Amino acid sequence: MIRFEGVKKVYPGNGKTPDILALNDVNLHIRKGEFVFVLGHSGAGKSTFLKLILREEEATEGRVIVNGRDLSTIKQRDIPYLRRGLGVVFQDFRLIPTMTAYENVAFAMRVTNIPERQIKRRVPYVLNLVGLTGKARSYPSELSGGEQQRVALARALVHSPPIIIADEPTGNIDPELSVEIMELLQAINSVGTTVVVVTHERALARHFNKRTIMIDHGEVVNDARPKRKRGVDE
Amino acid sequence: MKWSSFKYLTKQGLHSMVQNRLMTLASVGVLTACLIITGVAVLLSVNVNSFVDYLSDQNEFEVYLNDGYEQASIDAFVQNVSALENVAETEYISKSQAVEEMQAWMGEDGDLLSSYAGEDNAANPLPASVRVRVEDLTALSQTVESVKALGGDMIYEVQSPTELSSVLVGMKRAVTYVGWGLVAVLGVVSVVVISNTIRLTVFARRKEINIMKFVGATNAFIRLPFFVEGMTVGAISGIVSTLVVGGVYYGLLQWLDQPSASWLGEFTRCMHPMGEVIWPMLGGFVLFGVFIGGVGCATSIRKHLKV
Repeated sequence: MIRFEGVKKVYPGNGKTPDILALNDVNLHIRKGEFVFVLGHSGAGKSTFLKLILREEEATEGRVIVNGRDLSTIKQRDIPYLRRGLGVVFQDFRLIPTMTAYENVAFAMRVTNIPERQIKRRVPYVLNLVGLTGKARSYPSELSGGEQQRVALARALVHSPPIIIADEPTGNIDPELSVEIMELLQAINSVGTTVVVVTHERALARHFNKRTIMIDHGEVVNDARPKRKRGVDE
Repeated sequence: MKWSSFKYLTKQGLHSMVQNRLMTLASVGVLTACLIITGVAVLLSVNVNSFVDYLSDQNEFEVYLNDGYEQASIDAFVQNVSALENVAETEYISKSQAVEEMQAWMGEDGDLLSSYAGEDNAANPLPASVRVRVEDLTALSQTVESVKALGGDMIYEVQSPTELSSVLVGMKRAVTYVGWGLVAVLGVVSVVVISNTIRLTVFARRKEINIMKFVGATNAFIRLPFFVEGMTVGAISGIVSTLVVGGVYYGLLQWLDQPSASWLGEFTRCMHPMGEVIWPMLGGFVLFGVFIGGVGCATSIRKHLKV
């Protein structure tokens, strides 16, 4: 699903400021159906990790392979098609303010030329899944932080991408709602969707007991598999 | 792109015009102001040019002939003058016709000349003449020289408005250069101002564009609503500016038609009528507006698509 092979990312300085080494020799493999936390302090390289997957940035060295596409050789015109295979949830929700919750979710389907009939069937279903049936006609400004995050999640889910990436999905919402969002992600993962959660909250990763990749100073310093629970897996 | 997507994106463009109504209003305002100024410059240039053309058309010179020449040689001379390249029209004025014209000009006092009237009146002091109208005012001097060469001793005097002709020629050239120069400068200024306004609109919505990119929208998909928006703003501005400039022009024509403005009679006669002006103006304004709006949007958005 997602593979990093000897990935290095350097942001060049502008003459006055030095080059910044954001990621160095990162090797990892996230398989289909996995639920992974990518953990690190701010400035550790998490955002760069995410940008490389979304092909917002290009690796300076090494290869990033997402959904079978090698991002070091991908053509500019193929990037939208790469992104359609990913559902992304951002910390700041990134909803289009001039569209209702329904339209924001439907938009992700419209860009892929899905027929209107199918959109009308799928969007209410996904909004219902995230518990927002009654808010379909509301604009983002009329929704709470938690509700906006659920719209963003619905948008990420609606076209059934094989990978969901959540960048600090609980960063802007209350702790109770954080658990709710994480449980939703877990439910999505349980039907076979790969979920990658990028966060700085160690407690969150500990609470859900999933594979945790720790990044520090641009390097993977730990890659811990979930501990098997006594009496369940043993 | 599917027809349903095209329909959706067009609707989206129009919808977002309403959503961002303040920016839309600003864009329409700026574009309309530019089109009005350009339109006024075009109308002024076209009408002054038409007036100068009218004055040029009136241009003629008179060749006075010595007495004592046979009518046959005068007729031959007139025929030769008519055959000259720049000559549009000739008219022979006999000695008796000259008296009649003078009497008409003097009005009630014309009777004073009655003793000189009549054919072959030996007392008539007025010379016969040939009135020559030229086609190209700029070649007036050469035509006068050619006529003099043809007439030789037969010619008593040639009275030609060479000074007026050079003034008119200069005026026409100035009106053409200044008028169209002004239009060109205003056109460039319009393009700069409008593309900056559009850039501001696009900048205000850069986050929206960014989101579209992250959900996998292609550049064409993102661009189309902006394109529709830009073209619609252009078309609206074109119509509004036509209404404003057309309305003012109509008012001006009405005012010039009144007796109080009769001193401007000649100029009024040369002005293009409303029907001749309004449709080309509407077409020009709408096309220019749509072009500037569409192209301005498409180019302003390019920078934000590189994500």
